[in-house]
Parts: sequence; structure tokens; C-alpha cells
Amino acid sequence: MNTVNVERFLRKHRQPAVVVASGLLFAVGWVVGYFHDLPRASAALMILAAAVGGYDVAKKAYYTLRSRTVGISTLVTLAAIGAIVIGEYWEAAAVVFLFALGNYLEARTMGKTRSALEELLEMTPDTALVRRDGETVEVPARAVEEGETVVVKPGAKVPVDGEVVDGESAIDQAPVTGESAPVHKATGDEVYAGTINQEGALEVVATGTGRDTTLERIIRRVEEAQEAQAPTETIIERFAAYYTPAIVVLAAGAYAVTGDAVMALTLLVIGCPGALVIGPPVSIVSAIGSAARSGVLMKGGEHLETAGKIDLVAFDKTGTLTRGEPTVTHVDGFGLDEVSVLRYAAIAEKKSEHHLADAILEAAREGVPGDTDADTGLAADGGTALEHPSSAADGPTIPDPDEFDVVAGKGVVARHGDRRIVVGNRALLDDRGIEVPDPVRNRVRDREEDGETAVHVALDGEVVGVVSLGDELRPAAAEVVRALQDAGVRTVMLTGDNERTARSVAERLEIDDYRAELLPEEKQAAIQSFREDGHVVAMVGDGINDAPSLATADVGIAMGAAGTDTAIETADMALMADDLERIPYAVTLSKATRWNIGENVAIAVGTVVLLLSGVFAGYVHMASGMLVHIGSVLLVILNGMRLLRY
Amino acid sequence: MTETIEYRVTDFDCPTCASNLERALKRAEGVEDAEVHYTTGRVELGYDDGVTGPESFERTISNQGYTARPR
Repeated sequence: MNTVNVERFLRKHRQPAVVVASGLLFAVGWVVGYFHDLPRASAALMILAAAVGGYDVAKKAYYTLRSRTVGISTLVTLAAIGAIVIGEYWEAAAVVFLFALGNYLEARTMGKTRSALEELLEMTPDTALVRRDGETVEVPARAVEEGETVVVKPGAKVPVDGEVVDGESAIDQAPVTGESAPVHKATGDEVYAGTINQEGALEVVATGTGRDTTLERIIRRVEEAQEAQAPTETIIERFAAYYTPAIVVLAAGAYAVTGDAVMALTLLVIGCPGALVIGPPVSIVSAIGSAARSGVLMKGGEHLETAGKIDLVAFDKTGTLTRGEPTVTHVDGFGLDEVSVLRYAAIAEKKSEHHLADAILEAAREGVPGDTDADTGLAADGGTALEHPSSAADGPTIPDPDEFDVVAGKGVVARHGDRRIVVGNRALLDDRGIEVPDPVRNRVRDREEDGETAVHVALDGEVVGVVSLGDELRPAAAEVVRALQDAGVRTVMLTGDNERTARSVAERLEIDDYRAELLPEEKQAAIQSFREDGHVVAMVGDGINDAPSLATADVGIAMGAAGTDTAIETADMALMADDLERIPYAVTLSKATRWNIGENVAIAVGTVVLLLSGVFAGYVHMASGMLVHIGSVLLVILNGMRLLRY
Repeated sequence: MTETIEYRVTDFDCPTCASNLERALKRAEGVEDAEVHYTTGRVELGYDDGVTGPESFERTISNQGYTARPR
């Protein structure tokens, strides 16, 4: 190894090299002093150890003084110089060596708290196989342009956000959504950059590339979240800015009063609020990193601290507790066969934008009434979410209505040839002066009590049938409600559905409370009223249409945020996958983080109190004070890092 | 021309140290904006590339006693 290499090695590993050199000099100095009784040589070695270990510290102290602040490096430098002046050579060397060692260990462990972020950074794809001029060429992933077609081989990382145009495969989306099970993808499905293709080759048209992918947005968000200060941090930093100079004054005062130089210098050594300042950020960075790995995006320490106090979670029903894809479950004919009832309903609904209309049309096209004994909400489909075909190509075609009119919130009125069709709720039939016979009324009530939505179908002023639709509960919904209740959180369901349907779903979930027949602004008012009752409220919704309620709640949680910028940008927490089970995790993680911050503050304050009383009682000297101080700093870092494995 | 550059600096001893480095970078000639994040170790600089460049930043950072890694 020539000198150039030694120099490069030392530049690269300066910190550990300094620690080792300072430690060796200290050890030799101590041996020389203790076993060979050579006080001068020992003192010289100790001063050298302090100089080697303290050079960088002193330089930092000089720079911080120039920017008119007092940091721990200032305190340590003062203490070491003071110790040498009063002839406490070994104390000076010990303090400097321990401080350098502590700093090195601290930087190493702090680096580990960033491991979650580093992992995400490693997920970013490097290269892409892109189709250009009829050839497949390999280019850096960032060089792919929007609209280009990339080929993703089995085992390769998807290089861009995009849409599958050819091929079929299972994709491991854990890096982006936190879903552990692979997701089946075929033509028309969305894929995300950084996810891993497992089986077949895919051709993907890029919709987002470079810095404009979901993964990059997550990484940016996690960084910003980790950089945003929580209220506790801000308070502590403000306190620390005054605390350190105050310690210098206290040390000077103590020396003036007692004349005990060692005690005054010891005060300087232990006077840094290191553990106090470092504790909260470590807890928060670890928690945010750990959440990101599980597909939960936390928007910053502030929301984590708030989320730790949550005692009520409100769920939007449709699309959150349920799959949000209503299907026709039963068709009842009254004086008309079921197939015709469904067909007339479909003709009337053909031009409607209502979400129930699609389900009625689909059932009619398939030419079968829904499964007549489907047990909505209890079917647990634990498989991967496969897209339903949006139209059955071989079913009967549904003609357009000749006239069509929507009655908002009630249903539709249409004309087909010479038949007048009315499809809607009871209020619409009352408006039109159409009688609802008792058997129909009873049937509608039964269906609603089963948690379904029942729609009347009338032909030329006579009720001819009832179409019932159900929206399947998500398999995890009941478990999630129970998990939150176990964590001491009250659960409430909010829905625009009618009272009977809502009650049935609420009973099945064993949810604490529900509010039915709410308009969107009434949902927001409900959230507001919970807050006025003194609750800290989280609202879970599917992002876009629940925006006002999400904004009103103390913590807004958006579901299924992968791929949608708006949800990622506006919610306080975003679940990347449509995975309800993450909600108890997010809530309990937030609570654990609040505890963790509290523990860290307690450790830090406890250490300072212990050390101060030790100094005044004469038990603690410079070296031991430094040792305990370093120990407390490492302890809070390690305690915060426990959240990484939460 | 205004340019931006990012570094990672991960050997901060405490949050105050990060804000001290930020102050030092802001004072450097040609630097229009500097942000130093203690928790992630990210350093963002906006500068006038006619006046200064990466070499000078790396010197400033190492003068303050830290190691800069380019991103």
C-alpha cells in the first residue's frame, strides 16, 4: 500500500481512523502512566490523543462559533482545553476519545434508521427494454418517453408506470403497494415502476417515466415526510437553542461559586441535550420508513403524532368497507317474468350515469337474473382481484330508450316504443302516483333488511318487478372493525344508503355506530360533530369523492392511492393498495410512535437529571459523564429503531 | 444559469449541526438556496453555475467536517 492509497483510505474512513488512533494513544498513555510511572510521557500521549481525536471537533466548534451558535462540539472543545489547562490530561483524552467514538456509533446507527428509505431507493429500476424503430433496445429507465412501448421479461423490474397492452403475468407489487401476494395483470391493467414481473413477458405502454412514477412520488413523499418536523421536535429544538448556552453560563457560575474546576468542566461535558434532540426524529423517521415498506404513506411527523391520539375511525361504506362494485343479486317479477323485468330496467338505465345502472345493464346483457340466493357480504373471496369483463359479448343487446330523464336521487323515467318505464325508489313512484302493492312493499323491505338496495320497476303505471343490488363487503372489513375496537378505538360507518340497508351492514360488521341517508356535505358535518364531541377523528375514504370529509377529519386516510396523484397529495395518510387491513396497523403504529417519542424524552431527561445530581454530589467526573451521555444517545436511537420492525 | 444539485450527508451529530451546515452553504458565494435535512441527510443546493460549482460545495461541506456523497 503506497502513501496515496493510505491517504485515500484515511479520507474515506476518517471517522473510524480518528477514533482508533485517539483510542490507541489514550491506551498507551494510560499504560505508560500506570505501569511505568512516567507521568510526563503519559501526559504527552494523552494530550496527543486529545489533539488527534479533537481536531475535527475543534474545527466544527470554530465554524459553529463563526455562525454564532453553541453546539456540543463547542462544549467538548472547551471541556478538553480546560482539562488540559488544569492538568487533568487523562480526563481530557478520555472525553475526546469517547466523544469521537460516540459520534461514530451514532452516525452508524442513524444511518440504519434510513434503511427503509434506502430500500425504496434500491427499488428504482435501472434499465428498460424499449421498442424503437422496430427494434428492442436497452436504455436507462429514465430515458423512456411517455407513450413508448417497453418489454418486461419474467423476473425483471417494471421500468415505468404504464398500461399492459400485451401478455399476462403475476406481478409482485410489494415495493409500491405493500401487498404481499402477487397480483394478476393482463391487457388493460395498470403496472407500476419498481414492481417485479414474475411469470410471463409483458408489453407495457408507458404513462409515467423517470421522476413521474408512483414509486418516485412515494420516495419523494417519504423524504418530505421524514424532513417535516413534528410539533414535539420543534418545541425541543427551540428549547435546545437556549439550553446549551445556558449550560456554559451554569458551568461558569458553578466555578465562580465553588472554585471546583473539574465540576465546572464536567457540567460542560454532560450539558448537551443530545438524546433529547435526537430522540423524536429517530422515532418518526423509523415509523415513516417502516410504514412506507408496508404500503402506508404517512405525510409527516405531525400527522403521526395526531394519529397516535385517534379514538374514532369513520368509514365511508361504499368502496371502502365494500368492494364498491354493486351487482344484481335478485330479480323479482310481479305479473311479469324476471328476464323481461331486468330487460326493461336495463333499457331505462342504458343512458344513466348512475353506478347502479352499470350493474343492471351487465346483468341484463348476461341474460340471467342474478344468483337468486347469493348471500351478499358474506362471500369471502380471498383471491386476487381479477377484473370482471365489462360486457358479455354474447349476451342479448339492449336497445336505447326513445326518451330518457333522470330524477336526481330517485331514479329514471324512460319511454321505449309505446311503453313508459319508471325505475327507482319509493319516492319516485309516489311522485308519479304509482301504487305500490303490499307484496311488493314486503319484498322490498326484506331485501333491504338483507343489506341490499332494492329498485322498483314499473311499466305503464303498474309495478312489475323489483331489482335488488348488493355491494359485497370486503373480506377484511369485519376483522378490521374488531381490531380497531380491540385497540380502544370507536368505529362508525357513514353512508348515503337508506336506513334499513345501512343497519343490516352495520349489524353484520358489528360496528359501533352508523349514520345513513347522508349526502356528501352531511358526511362532512357528521365528522365535524364527532370532533365537537371531543373525539380525535380519522376518516377512511377512497380519496377523490370523499375529499371534504377527509379534509375535515383530524387524519384523512385515502385508500388505493397507488397511481393517483390526488390521493397521495391530499390525504394525511395514503394506503397504496386497497387493503383495509392496513388501517389498524397504521393506527397502532401511530400510537406506538407517540409512546416511543415519550420514552425517548423520558430517557433523555432522566439521564440529564441523573448526571446533574451526580455532578453536584461528586460521583460523576468528566469521563464517566461523557460515557453515560453517549450511552443515553445510543439508547434513544436504538429505542426509536424498534419501530423499523413494527 | 441557475442549477440545482443534491448530495447526501449522513454524518451529522445533531439537528443543530445540520442547520449550521445549511447556514454555511447559504453564505457561500453563488449559492442562491440551500436546504439541509438532518433526518434524511439530503442536501439540496440551488446555485449560479457561472460563479460556483460542485467542487466548492464539497470543500465547504468537508470544511465543516462532513462527507458529501453525490446523489
